[in-house]
Amino acid sequence: MIAQSPLTSAAPLAAAIFLVTIGLVIARPWRLSEATAALLGAGAMVLAGLVSARGAVSDVAGNWNVLLFFVGLTGAAAVAERSGLFEALAGTSARMSGGSPRRLLVAVVAAGAIVAALLSNDAAALVLTPVVYVLVARFGLSPLPYVLACTFVADAASIALPVSNPVNVIVSDRLGVSAASLVPVLLPAALASVVALLGCLLVMYRRQLPARAPLVPPSDSWASWTGVPRRLLAAFGVAVGAFAVASALNLPLGPTMTAVWLLLLGVEWTSRRPDRPLDGIGCSLLVFVASMGILVDGLSSAGITAWLAQIVLGQVRDSPAAVMVVTAFAAAVGANLVNNLPAAFVFADAVQGAGLSAASAHAAALGTIIGADLGPNLTPVGSVATLLWFVLLRQRGLEVSTWSYIRIGLIVTPVTILAALGVALLLGVPR
Amino acid sequence: MSATRRFLVALAGTEDPALPEQVAQVAGTGGPAVEVTLLHVVETGPRELAAYQPAVRRGPWPLPKKDAIEGRLKDADEEAATALLAVWHDRFAAALPTAQIARLVAQGRPEQEIVVAAKRLNADALVLCARPRSGPAEPGPRSVGHVARFVLDHSPVPVLLIRRSS
Repeated sequence: MIAQSPLTSAAPLAAAIFLVTIGLVIARPWRLSEATAALLGAGAMVLAGLVSARGAVSDVAGNWNVLLFFVGLTGAAAVAERSGLFEALAGTSARMSGGSPRRLLVAVVAAGAIVAALLSNDAAALVLTPVVYVLVARFGLSPLPYVLACTFVADAASIALPVSNPVNVIVSDRLGVSAASLVPVLLPAALASVVALLGCLLVMYRRQLPARAPLVPPSDSWASWTGVPRRLLAAFGVAVGAFAVASALNLPLGPTMTAVWLLLLGVEWTSRRPDRPLDGIGCSLLVFVASMGILVDGLSSAGITAWLAQIVLGQVRDSPAAVMVVTAFAAAVGANLVNNLPAAFVFADAVQGAGLSAASAHAAALGTIIGADLGPNLTPVGSVATLLWFVLLRQRGLEVSTWSYIRIGLIVTPVTILAALGVALLLGVPR
Repeated sequence: MSATRRFLVALAGTEDPALPEQVAQVAGTGGPAVEVTLLHVVETGPRELAAYQPAVRRGPWPLPKKDAIEGRLKDADEEAATALLAVWHDRFAAALPTAQIARLVAQGRPEQEIVVAAKRLNADALVLCARPRSGPAEPGPRSVGHVARFVLDHSPVPVLLIRRSS
């Protein structure tokens, strides 16, 4: 094949706009929100003529499925948070631990995996972490291993289902691969990566976890399932089933997720009217994702994503197994350089434009999802760039030993990626 | 000079329950009056990480209210510190029936707060365990944990280093 560079003369400008935008997203100077930064970047792409105004509108409109999905997902997560579901799940973990710090770690990882798989990794990390912290403190234990376990498992389990990570929907939507067709491969892969993570944590904390917790809180003091309205629990069950059926029928996930959210909100309304039912809808997430679509369109029109695809997939495009491995590692590296959502957008666009065969595109979707979901665990703050910012924060008084966190991510990330990739290669590559 | 001997005991909470007996052997009985202050330092690093790090990590995902979460975590820490010190208070009272026992909670980095408290209380001796968070400490370069290591280096008063009896 003749390798002719697909880069156009506008490539340096497009790359500069993208990188400055990502820099603003990560560093957030003047308390600029990520959404505002991304919107500024998208505006710059249009002003620079890299994306036409009409193109920008059609980018946003073309993302309708993903955007509706996020409305439903953030709304459903907010209903779950208000319902006390997380506290009840954590309470069950506490009861199951029997006061053993090791068993508590296993139970916390299991609870985190369930929440991440059914309600997205971000909900698991943001809502479950404080709940777990409070729970572990009541045992008189140091919460640090458990807090990190929540962070890591939120991502390790997030390859499981389309709902488990925003990246999954973005990648399958852009690559035109049915999200449901990935589940038979990704669900076992998620299980493998969670087990691998648990093994790492138990080995690495074997000296820090005492044999018994110093305090034994009475077991009836833990939040129980009776606090969660029965009807709402049933609605969650129905929602999971409805979602499974809809994705098996290949219905678009966005409207399905929005319908699921409206169902949950309706049931919540009948038992306990929420004060502000629309709180927790991720408006800034929507702006961010819509802007990201325009930014990546700019990169694409300048030939940058095609150039990336040539570099990454140039030699291996005809072997699905090689495509999967290469995209997984490239997406993991990308996620650590520019955070996972932008990396997923860029990669999905690059792979989509490469004109792969159906088997290779399927393998590329699996690889990209594994890499972009699990890769950011390398540092507990999501990317190497964020980590630099985190180190700056330390100088401003955040007194935590950064090294003790990085060290764990450096071990956990390759191990979980390899575990997931191994399973995906076994199950996801036709032979 | 008062005749009272003042011991400051730094407790992570996971120490060997035999610790009060070991302190009692050193303090003796019948001699001058003994005053024991039990100090537990709530490590604030994990709390800041728990409230802060997922927010940094998760980008524009809608965040729960940060102040409310920090308050919840702080309350949990304080509740745990109180409960831990109550448990150890009873153990020390059983081992040292005539001693006066006080409780103290500090917040920050344990190694620094222990040294600061020893200086402020002007204790006659500081009692701490070599590796409270692990099993029986084996001899060797890692037999003293990082908190105890710092305190050994910086304590303004004599240190009584206790190893867990196996």
